[in-house]
Amino acid sequence: MSGKPRAGFYNFSGCSGCLLTILNCEDNILDIFGAAQVTSFLMANRGNIDDRWHGADRKAGKEANLDVAFIDGSVTTREQEAFLKEIRERSGLVVALGICSCYGGVQAMETGRGSFARRYQKVYGATPPAIVEAFESKPLDAFVKVDHYLPGCPIDGKQFLHAYARIVRGLPPELPKTPVCTECKWRENECLLLKNELCLGPVTAAGCNARCPSNNTGCVGCFGPADERNLGSEVSLLKTRKFNLETIERKLRIFGGARFSESFKKLLRK
Amino acid sequence: MPVIEVKHTARIEGHAGIWVEVERNRVKNVKVTVPEGPRLFETLVIDKTPEEAANIVPRICAICSVSHKLAAIHGLERALDIQVPPATRALRTLMHYGEMVESNSLHVYLLALPDFLGYPNAVAMTDKYADHVLRGLRLKKFGNRIMEITSARYTHGENPTVGGFHRWPDRKELLEIKAEAQRLLPDGEEAVELMRSLHYPTSMEDGMVFMCLKPPTETYGFMGESVLISTGEERPIDEYLEMTNEKVVDHSTAKRCLYNGRPFVVGPLARMNLLGERLHGKASEAFKRCYSLTWVRNPLYASQARAIEILFCLEAIPALVDKLLATPAAKTKEPARKSGAAVGAVEAPRGTLYHYYEVTRGKVSGANLIIPTTQNFSAMERHVRVAADTLLKADTKDDIKLVFEMILRAYDPCVSCSAHLVEIG
Repeated sequence: MSGKPRAGFYNFSGCSGCLLTILNCEDNILDIFGAAQVTSFLMANRGNIDDRWHGADRKAGKEANLDVAFIDGSVTTREQEAFLKEIRERSGLVVALGICSCYGGVQAMETGRGSFARRYQKVYGATPPAIVEAFESKPLDAFVKVDHYLPGCPIDGKQFLHAYARIVRGLPPELPKTPVCTECKWRENECLLLKNELCLGPVTAAGCNARCPSNNTGCVGCFGPADERNLGSEVSLLKTRKFNLETIERKLRIFGGARFSESFKKLLRK
Repeated sequence: MPVIEVKHTARIEGHAGIWVEVERNRVKNVKVTVPEGPRLFETLVIDKTPEEAANIVPRICAICSVSHKLAAIHGLERALDIQVPPATRALRTLMHYGEMVESNSLHVYLLALPDFLGYPNAVAMTDKYADHVLRGLRLKKFGNRIMEITSARYTHGENPTVGGFHRWPDRKELLEIKAEAQRLLPDGEEAVELMRSLHYPTSMEDGMVFMCLKPPTETYGFMGESVLISTGEERPIDEYLEMTNEKVVDHSTAKRCLYNGRPFVVGPLARMNLLGERLHGKASEAFKRCYSLTWVRNPLYASQARAIEILFCLEAIPALVDKLLATPAAKTKEPARKSGAAVGAVEAPRGTLYHYYEVTRGKVSGANLIIPTTQNFSAMERHVRVAADTLLKADTKDDIKLVFEMILRAYDPCVSCSAHLVEIG
């Protein structure tokens, strides 16, 4: 990258919370926009080079090429799939922001159960809107190569700033591999599992500074699976605390969606 | 047939286009198109515990996540007959004020103001208007800080729950909120004066029907169990279906709403028109200085209404904190029953938000969520039509697409919110 890198910010299916988290870095927002040449950020800017679903303005040519694309949200329509592939083609790096783009998000919690068509009809009736062709929520890497993943629902502002500063300099982000428990211990919280509360801290990626346990409530798993997790041990532990498998799987699926359900199936086969 | 099209409206949450079909210089057809991917939230909460449902639904929308949490809690508590003490209600109100300050200042300074000052975004305005931008960011940060203290995070905090809060903020945190509200009061006044000083286009003006929740006491506010309608009616929130009348349309994954066959408006302009007389102090003075009958015809004045609401919250927070400091932390209340059904409602920054839940033996068995932006779409289409007719007739050199976009932005739409609603039998 020579000079300021060219960056685009996009949102697909989600709550826009990860892009909002960037706008919520009030003390650093001028630096964020100053560190890169931001060519697209529809939520904050008018007159973007690629305001359209169906890709960059052809006339824009090289202008539309990006060093890095930051993407919030999952893919739930054919139109988004085409736009994502088009962004990938003209971007040096693709960074997934938040669990929707990393893992499919809460809207993917039913993945693998074959219920999408029935649920879609339940919401929109027999004649759904013709404007989109919809399908079960999928993460970005179901369609394109993703270079970096920043998890969270939403992402953590401090973690984003740290990662952003590295990415715009062409360096990979440094993200914790450990689970929430590490941060929870640093905050000297009393372990909620000892109080028989269902906490997903042991299997969930760190990065939030153990917010939920620090507020006397179990981790809901909103950063998705930690690299260094031991799901088998967590499940055995929760079973000794009188939680049944159905409850444990339901909790894991809410934010971990397909990721956790696959590990869970393997675990049950063992 | 010629078409005037805005492919993607900028500086709003989510994706919405504007499509105006013109025949012989007359508007034939207007569509606000929504190609958002569906997420089917009403189906995701089925078979979840009430607490889990209240964790899931704020993910409908980050910008009003606290309002979604509060509407869910309100509906679920009514369904399960949970009566929370005044201290819990006061802490919820403080959290809600945090969201109002954050969302309204985000809109006023970062989303709306660039149009009036002729910029593509707020960061670019720092060349000439750094004071405005920094003031907006200060206010926004304060709103976020209130939510962080009360809800555990800026967005999607899990501290508030059905029955109360997992953690009560300590004295130091509450005093920090009070001191900051007092310190920022002049910024709130400046916000109102800035919005009052701007020039507002008039081409879209047309009479509006307004709705908002009626606060139980004679004050301004964002909660209530009945709805005031500018036609002179007052209806309980339990009649939410008759007040919204959702239907599916082909050009949008968000539905459309009408009241008595007519578009209606929810949000800050509705609240100011229906409740503005209830304001006190500086907010009341600001309201009297700003308000005119144009406010019943011109949706762009919503930006002034938002600024007055920021001032209202900054003024109300110190007394609310004092009240919280004078009462002990409230314990979380358990449900009185395992099954039930009810609707809950709050005023989200962008208007009345309804959450209906059915709970059967401790699990959610049905849900219907009706979002303010969905209620406002018909009015947006109506105002775009009027503006297009006026501007085409006048053969104006005005940037017609910019006017269309300003109309949509005035409603501060949360499009991802709006695309996910339904009845489940």
